[in-house]
Amino acid sequence: MEHFLVNPNTAVSCKRNLICKEAATPIAIGCYLDNDEKGVKVDQTRYKELIGSLLYLTASRLDIMFNVCLCARYQASARESHYMATKRVLKYLKGTTDVGLWYPSEVSLNLIGYSDSDFAGCKTDRKSTSGTCHLLGSSLISWHSKKQACVALPTVEVESIQLEVVVHRVYGSNNS
Amino acid sequence: MSQIPLLCDNTSAINLTKNPIQHSQTKHIEIHHHFIRNHVSNGDCVIQFVNSKNQLTDLFTKPFNKERFNFLRNELGIIDLKNIK
Repeated sequence: MEHFLVNPNTAVSCKRNLICKEAATPIAIGCYLDNDEKGVKVDQTRYKELIGSLLYLTASRLDIMFNVCLCARYQASARESHYMATKRVLKYLKGTTDVGLWYPSEVSLNLIGYSDSDFAGCKTDRKSTSGTCHLLGSSLISWHSKKQACVALPTVEVESIQLEVVVHRVYGSNNS
Repeated sequence: MSQIPLLCDNTSAINLTKNPIQHSQTKHIEIHHHFIRNHVSNGDCVIQFVNSKNQLTDLFTKPFNKERFNFLRNELGIIDLKNIK
C-alpha cells in the first residue's frame, strides 16, 4: 500500500516518525481529547500538515477515520496531547501498511445499512458522534463518521438523529 | 431493490420509527423522526435490531481494544493483504 504515501506531507511525516514502536490500534482505550488549554502549544503548521495528510489517507483507510477526525477538531489550537494522539495514528499505520479495503468477486447484492453513535462522546459540548456504513454483500461501499450538529440528551434522540443520517444517505433528502 | 434493512442497536429508536403514538420525550426531534417514519411507512426500508456485538459501525464512533478493533476491521472488509494469498 506504499502508493498511499504518495502525498508528500504524509511521506515526510512518516519518515520523521519511522523510528518508533508499532501500535495495534490507532487510539488508546480511554484516551480522551479536550481543548487542553494549559498544555504546551505545538507548531500549528506542522500539526495541520499531519492532519491534512492523514485526512487524505482516510479515503482508503477508514479504520483511522474516527481518530483522524477527532484530532482534526483541535487544529485551531493544537497542544502536545493532541499531537501525541496524532502520532499514535502514525504508529498504527506503520504496523499496518499492508491493510486495505478488499472487494471479493463473488458477492451477493444485499444492501445493508448499519448505524451507531456514541452517547455524548465529546465531553466538552456533550455532542455525540454518529457513524454509518453500508455493506453490499460483504463489501463496504459507503461510510461516514461525524459529530452530530446538535446536543441530544436521551440516547433515543441520538440514535434517531443517527438513523435519519442513514436514511438520508440511502434515499437523499429530497425524496421525503 | 426493495426494503433495505437498516441495523440499529437501540430498541427505543427502532420502536419510535414504528409506533404512531406521539412521544412527549421526543418533541425536539420531530423533523428527524417524521423523516424516518415516512420512509418506514412507505416501505422503503426496514429498521432492524442488531446486537451491539455485531454492530460494525462501532469502528467509526469509539476507541476499542486490539481484539475488538481487529474483529470489526475484518468484518468491514478491511483486511491484511498478506492473509489473502
